[in-house]
Amino acid sequence: MSVFEYVLAGVLAVIAGPAAFDILGIGVPITVLMVFGGFVIGIVGGATPGLAGPFLMAVSLPILLSIFGFTPDALLPVLGFLVGVMKGATVGGAVPAILFNTPGTPDAMLTTFDGYPMAKKGQAGKALRTAHFASVSGDTFSDLVLFTCAPFLAIVVEAYLGFGEKAALILLSLAFVAAVVGASPMKGMIAAFLGLFIAAIGTGEDSYSRLSFGTEALASGVPLITAVLGVLILGEVLYAFEQMWRDRRSDEVTETQQQRDQRLTWKERRKLFPFIGVSAVVGTGIGALPGIGSTLAATLGYATGERMHKGPVPFGQGTPEGVAATEAANSSVSGANLIPVLSLGIPGNVGAVFLILAAESIGGFNPGPSVFRFSTSEINPELIIAFGLFTTMMLANIMNWIIGGRIMAVVGIMARVPKQVLLPIVLLLTLTAIYVQEMNFNAFYFAFAFAILGYLMRKLRIPTLPFVIAFILAGNLEQAFRQAFAVAGGDPFFLFKSPLSLFFLLLSVAVIIFFSRPKKPAANKAIEAERDA
Amino acid sequence: MLGRSTEIWIAVIFLILGVVAAALWVPFDSETPPIYTFRRQTYIGDAMLPMVAGAGIAICAATHLILSFLRRRDDQDAPFDRLTGLFFLVFLGIVAASFMLMFWSGPAALALFGPTGDEPVTYRQMRSTAPWKYVGFVIGGFVMVFGITSLIEGKFSARRALTSILAVAVLILIFDVPFDTILLPPNGDF
Repeated sequence: MSVFEYVLAGVLAVIAGPAAFDILGIGVPITVLMVFGGFVIGIVGGATPGLAGPFLMAVSLPILLSIFGFTPDALLPVLGFLVGVMKGATVGGAVPAILFNTPGTPDAMLTTFDGYPMAKKGQAGKALRTAHFASVSGDTFSDLVLFTCAPFLAIVVEAYLGFGEKAALILLSLAFVAAVVGASPMKGMIAAFLGLFIAAIGTGEDSYSRLSFGTEALASGVPLITAVLGVLILGEVLYAFEQMWRDRRSDEVTETQQQRDQRLTWKERRKLFPFIGVSAVVGTGIGALPGIGSTLAATLGYATGERMHKGPVPFGQGTPEGVAATEAANSSVSGANLIPVLSLGIPGNVGAVFLILAAESIGGFNPGPSVFRFSTSEINPELIIAFGLFTTMMLANIMNWIIGGRIMAVVGIMARVPKQVLLPIVLLLTLTAIYVQEMNFNAFYFAFAFAILGYLMRKLRIPTLPFVIAFILAGNLEQAFRQAFAVAGGDPFFLFKSPLSLFFLLLSVAVIIFFSRPKKPAANKAIEAERDA
Repeated sequence: MLGRSTEIWIAVIFLILGVVAAALWVPFDSETPPIYTFRRQTYIGDAMLPMVAGAGIAICAATHLILSFLRRRDDQDAPFDRLTGLFFLVFLGIVAASFMLMFWSGPAALALFGPTGDEPVTYRQMRSTAPWKYVGFVIGGFVMVFGITSLIEGKFSARRALTSILAVAVLILIFDVPFDTILLPPNGDF
């Protein structure tokens, strides 16, 4: 198959795939329907403080697996839904930030700086339209960069890196994530090694399941989804419960009379373009690096926009340029975050973790450099799925352009759902989602054990992302080590033999040392909070 | 970063954990050592990954210990206090009660109010039949959601009770009603 035929096959797998139902004799493809469903749920969830894209993706994944099963046909509907959620939540997070000064997602913190003052001036509708326009523009730009960069990067990796270099590259990625997430690189590294250690329990190649103490409970290993949901979601829920219990307060919501004309004219949109363009480039650049959060992208986008701005209303006092600069930057992170996933098989953020989990659970698609083998003699089904995934992302963008703004306008009510009511429901929802996957009450105990681990990590400011990424990558890393060792003929210095793998290893050490320097206070509290989380 | 003494404690605990894991747990609980030779071929054994991970934890913890020692003394609050203990005591009590009720309410309700006849009906036979399949999930789920909400708010209210019941009902609508193959907790265990 030629490149064009692969692209076409990917597009057709989505738009001409199995139909969910017929309308006037025309079948509605299930993948398109799932993207739409995920997108709407994503906006609603993003607009609900306390919920965010990763929460929704985590809870939906076990349900989706139960519905679609574990056949390759399930890949595109499930991944399409998760992509829809990811994109919906990105725009949805701006809604409560603008209307109630409460960011729906952490990266929307900076949207409150200008969005809420605009709403106070009676321009809430205009602020929402600005946020939507900037967000969807940034997101689309970032996706286009992903579509062009990921295949090239993957081809280069596959062509030039052997087993040893791949193992060293995984180590470099882990070191980078551990170093940049959180306040202390050493704690990040501890988290990463802990993830590798726990992933080793009950796995391996020998007939005896290692580290299982000979028990049946540990012999089959730690259930992947339960562990990830426990650490990432339930740990956060427990942490939030304790915080809310300590801090029983309710925010008063005041109503402001809104202006009649809330349109965002073409002239106004044109004035926003330079801010959106610069922020989209900044966000895409930041997003392509694993582990760096969208809050940093939003802060850099906002700071750059502030320097460019010469309008009558300064940044921070309710100017649309401020909203646009922030939203374009944080939204353009989501597409670029998938560059390391698709080209290297390394998840760079929590959203990507769930895409990899979905792919690993279903099977038939292993995100990484081997996906982009443009073989002409035989069909590479993984490549068709990759182009199908790109198609679902574009579909979600089109939906976002057409109806995203309208949905944003009606989901403001979600910000009024009290967190103390919502989070206990999230707990039960997550436990139920885990149960339908495992069908065993023991899964609850596993989930709670990992929830407590996640809670302790948050309390002790040990970042959870390096733990989860290392946990997921442990199998690949061990495999790469074994293969490289075998190819090197049992040479114990196999990792240091190639100049490239030596370079990756030295770079890992350099990254850790660089980020271990004493840090200056962060420019804003959102960054500080994300760094310390 | 947390206070200096807390960071030192974290480093010491992980240092001990890493050393114990790498030096004791892994060698005694793996079939093959980190590197072994079989039929004149040298392989990486099952102990390699966890031993590297354990040693990595220990090395990073030791480095963190040194860095923390070099920090200036401060008087930041410890991350845990008596309130943490109190909260988790009540919280885990609610969760344990909800798990117990979720697991046993269905079989108990069937034993008390189920059909009677010559042949006793087991819960396994009725685990996919309404209303029995909902009893455990509704009671356990309600206790969990309502209990935690009330704990956080510090009061019981009828409104929150209603919200909790509605939430459980919505979850049944999501997970159970559309699918024949999915079993709500705890029905898969019977």
